[in-house]
Amino acid sequence: MASIKKRHVLLFFATAVAAFLLSLLANSIISRKTESKFAYQPMVQLADNEPRNQVWGENFPRQYQSFLKTKDTTFQSYQGGSKMVDMLDKDPRLVILWAGYAFSKEYNAPRGHYYAVDDIRNILRTGAPTGPGTGPMPSTCWTCKSPDVPRLMNEIGIDEFYSGKWADKGSEVVNAIGCADCHNPETMSLRITRPALIEAFEAMGKDINESSHQEMRSLVCAQCHVEYYFNKDLPGKEGVPYLVFPWRDGMTVEAMEGYYDEINFSDWTHAVSKAPMLKAQHPGYEIYSTGIHAKRGVSCADCHMPYTSEGGQKFTDHHIQSPLNNVTNSCQVCHRQDKEDLVADVYTRQQKIGENMEKLEKVLVRLHLEAGKAWELGASEENMKEILQDIRHAQWRWDYAVASHGASFHSPVEVGRVVSSAMEVAEEGRLKLARLLATLGFNQELPYPDISTKAKAQQLMGIDRAALEKEKEEFKKNIIPKWLEEAKKREENMGMKKAVSMK
Amino acid sequence: MSFLKRITPPDQWIVPVTLVCGLMAGLGFYVLRVSNAVSYLSDDPKACINCHVMTPEYITWDHSSHQSVTVCNDCHVPHNNVVNKYYFKAMDGLYHASIYTMRMEPQTITMREPSQHVVQNNCIRCHMDQVTDAKMSAWVENHEQNRTSRACWECHRETPHGRVKSLAAIGAFIEPLSVRQQQKEFVPDWIKQQLKSSK
Repeated sequence: MASIKKRHVLLFFATAVAAFLLSLLANSIISRKTESKFAYQPMVQLADNEPRNQVWGENFPRQYQSFLKTKDTTFQSYQGGSKMVDMLDKDPRLVILWAGYAFSKEYNAPRGHYYAVDDIRNILRTGAPTGPGTGPMPSTCWTCKSPDVPRLMNEIGIDEFYSGKWADKGSEVVNAIGCADCHNPETMSLRITRPALIEAFEAMGKDINESSHQEMRSLVCAQCHVEYYFNKDLPGKEGVPYLVFPWRDGMTVEAMEGYYDEINFSDWTHAVSKAPMLKAQHPGYEIYSTGIHAKRGVSCADCHMPYTSEGGQKFTDHHIQSPLNNVTNSCQVCHRQDKEDLVADVYTRQQKIGENMEKLEKVLVRLHLEAGKAWELGASEENMKEILQDIRHAQWRWDYAVASHGASFHSPVEVGRVVSSAMEVAEEGRLKLARLLATLGFNQELPYPDISTKAKAQQLMGIDRAALEKEKEEFKKNIIPKWLEEAKKREENMGMKKAVSMK
Repeated sequence: MSFLKRITPPDQWIVPVTLVCGLMAGLGFYVLRVSNAVSYLSDDPKACINCHVMTPEYITWDHSSHQSVTVCNDCHVPHNNVVNKYYFKAMDGLYHASIYTMRMEPQTITMREPSQHVVQNNCIRCHMDQVTDAKMSAWVENHEQNRTSRACWECHRETPHGRVKSLAAIGAFIEPLSVRQQQKEFVPDWIKQQLKSSK
């Protein structure tokens, strides 16, 4: 045993101190790493298909708060905005054009996504169901209204979701269009949740997964802002009003018209002219695709959800709205002109298209009434066949051009072309009708009806608005509270998972 | 007596001394491992958020137009030669590590003098064409002095981190994957399966 010297003692202590400090450092690193588990961590864990927007809002306050601004209905532009405008009131001709179809009961310009569920319940078109299995509309009408839809499709199956009446799912669909409709809850990347769009891409021979991120910023909108129809004769799904986009041959007005003619589809038979009509829903994506902005690679989100910043963070403004209410962040990102100038350009396009749109509507009104007169005078199916086809085509083209509200700005040249082609078909039809009426002994002008107000037009078409409204009130009083109560019970059991745990 | 001789323990001490040295070395490696030290040799911006106080800087950069063309090191370390790059990085890193370990980080992180020079030089390194213009130098008085007498960010104040980047200003750090790593699959599995089975 060697004798212990002073320097050995010193060495011992020095080593001990070094070891102590090293351990301290290790401990500090570990504890700061643990902190980072909590710092900047999301509040809740989002289940796949979480339908409740406020739950997503816990993690994404900025996006959620801006989404809530879609409540705002004060902005009005020349042709649109977020204000709810009674379109039949504004343009009573529509009542005649859609006679025999629910759209002649009530039709309003759309407002924010926030109201999607409220508005579909309130609109007279959905009637007044008195319980499951009643009411005029199929369950398919819910498809674009709520993030509850992908949840439900996943639970009960897509075909089952499309089956049955609109009222059957009233208690299941309660959250307005929101987060889960477009986002993957895990990565927040965009995703497609509506099968119809995926199937439409397949029908065109494309794979939607090939899309770029920038294309996705439009395609999530194209899940709903498109032309569609309910196909009840799909092999293996007979009787189910299955949601289909008529894009097989392309998205132009002629391609879809040809497709509908080929499968012999019509939405309804017109009450006056008996023509097999088509209702264009809102081919927003299709028309935008033909415009200059689409050509330059501008997506829907670039203008309708432009970037904004708050607290030093740039994020996508989820107040989805007319860019005309936000010119600085939308148009002026690329266009250096004054706001007034830019807005004037938009309005000019809308006014110029609007001028011809009005003329076209008048011709269409005359067509329906003159065809009605011909039936009255004893025209035969054979006489009328070609005329009715002209009416169908002319009004389809008019509706395709007008139904998506933004079309005359999104693609003014294409819309102008479509309106002219509608005018041509309509005039052809009127010529044939004039000859037919003359052979039936009626060789004069059929007076244009007095449809200066919505009330007059609806009376002319035999729509008893008071009765419809009374039924609706009953439905709101008796059925909706039940739906809400059931939904509340269901959602109470959903719970919310805190994201951070010490595991 | 040579130095080596002086620190070599006598024969009967060799084993315990080696043990103690091994223990210390092991502990040292452990510290390197938990601190993820190897990552600091890379240019990966994720290395900078090993310490969560840098998260605001990371997020603000990730939302900026510089996100697709730069990483942290493109601006914040010198690029005149590789030795200088790593020397500067080491000095900066050790300073950061010390402050962070002592919990002395400020609410809002700002650059110190040496860093400012580095960043300014890096602005010029990429934006040479924007900041030099022979025509202007020829006929605008004081053009060169005006151009070189201040830092770029005296005017470009939002570039690239924005002006609000305190620790409290940033929300949850859940970012959509950057476009470079975007998912390539936009259709959820349940839809794919259902559409397949119904065909």
